[in-house]
Amino acid sequence: MSEHTYYSRKATLALKISEFEVPPMQDLLIVGKRAPIGPEAVKRMADALSPDQFIVIKLDHPTVEAVLLRKSLLQLMDQETILKVILEEAGRILEDTMVLRSELKISLSVQREVHLA
Amino acid sequence: MKVGEILSSPVHTITPDKSVRYAAELMNELKIGSLVVTEGGETVGIVTSRDLRVTHPNRIVADAMSRDPKSIEPDVYIWNAWDLLNEFGVERLLVCEDGRMVGLVTREQISGKLSELRDPLTGLYRSAYIAAVGEDLLKRRVPFELMFIDLDNFREINKTYGHPVGDDVIVSFANTLKSQIDKSSEYLCRYAGDEFVIITLQGEQRVRGIVRQLRQTVYFCQVEVSATVGKVGPRDAPDFFDLPFRELVTRASLAGTKLKSHADTAKNPPVG
Repeated sequence: MSEHTYYSRKATLALKISEFEVPPMQDLLIVGKRAPIGPEAVKRMADALSPDQFIVIKLDHPTVEAVLLRKSLLQLMDQETILKVILEEAGRILEDTMVLRSELKISLSVQREVHLA
Repeated sequence: MKVGEILSSPVHTITPDKSVRYAAELMNELKIGSLVVTEGGETVGIVTSRDLRVTHPNRIVADAMSRDPKSIEPDVYIWNAWDLLNEFGVERLLVCEDGRMVGLVTREQISGKLSELRDPLTGLYRSAYIAAVGEDLLKRRVPFELMFIDLDNFREINKTYGHPVGDDVIVSFANTLKSQIDKSSEYLCRYAGDEFVIITLQGEQRVRGIVRQLRQTVYFCQVEVSATVGKVGPRDAPDFFDLPFRELVTRASLAGTKLKSHADTAKNPPVG
């Protein structure tokens, strides 16, 4: 009986293509204290991708080292209020090794009453 | 003993955009404990092996470094550098001359040199310290008063109570001197056995105050102790700034000896 040896090497390529969002960090990033990327690197990344649009706020918090925030949000609401909400909500789920990305939409609702002439 | 004599040079640098992993590898390769962080020719921080140990290796150096590193000039005394390290709570000081970084000095280096200068019994500096201070003041023509303090009858104390008690007396007396001097303008050392030297920049009135205090008999370990102080200053020696420091110590020491022999003569007048 003759021995037939069959040998084959194959590779399969799979592409998943999607649009790269610019900037990829949406409205804010929450940087954990032992995360693989620190506040200075986050700031440099944001400055390179969206110059002058983000600020880094360093915090004295048990797990959160800093928050990168879209500057325009601060025109709608003061920094203290925004940070309080972020830390209350994200602080619960964030581990110090994580970096979280978040959208933050502020909608303003106004109702006025005016005297008719 | 000045910082310039013990600094480490050259200083190895890194840019803040490099990774912590790279910095750790570089330090390991160079067998050093820190890198100075520079950006565009400016010093922006310092990163130590301790910083790297607590930082994720993927982070950039800018996120691991200590900002605003403290610097010092090479002609600062090492004991003043030691005070600065403690004041700022840092482990390293950059050594800069005319705005140019010339080296780095660590707590370990300074501490090692200081222990060589320190008297283990009293914790005071030895004579080399006061000589360095005095010679520098003379060179800069800064007026000062030098007091040579000698315990009275110390040999008798040792003979009567034993050397361990003698040591206790020395330590207690040294502690009294330490508590009396003003660290910003006065320098103290244990010159030899029962002899101490103080340099003060505060002038003759201050000398009179110290002498008055030291002449009073006090009790350490139930042993009666007093001291004789010989002094020399610019008013005692018109050529003060042209004299070698060693000569000033000799004059102050001899002035003390003279005072002692006067006191002995007064107690036991020569017969005949």
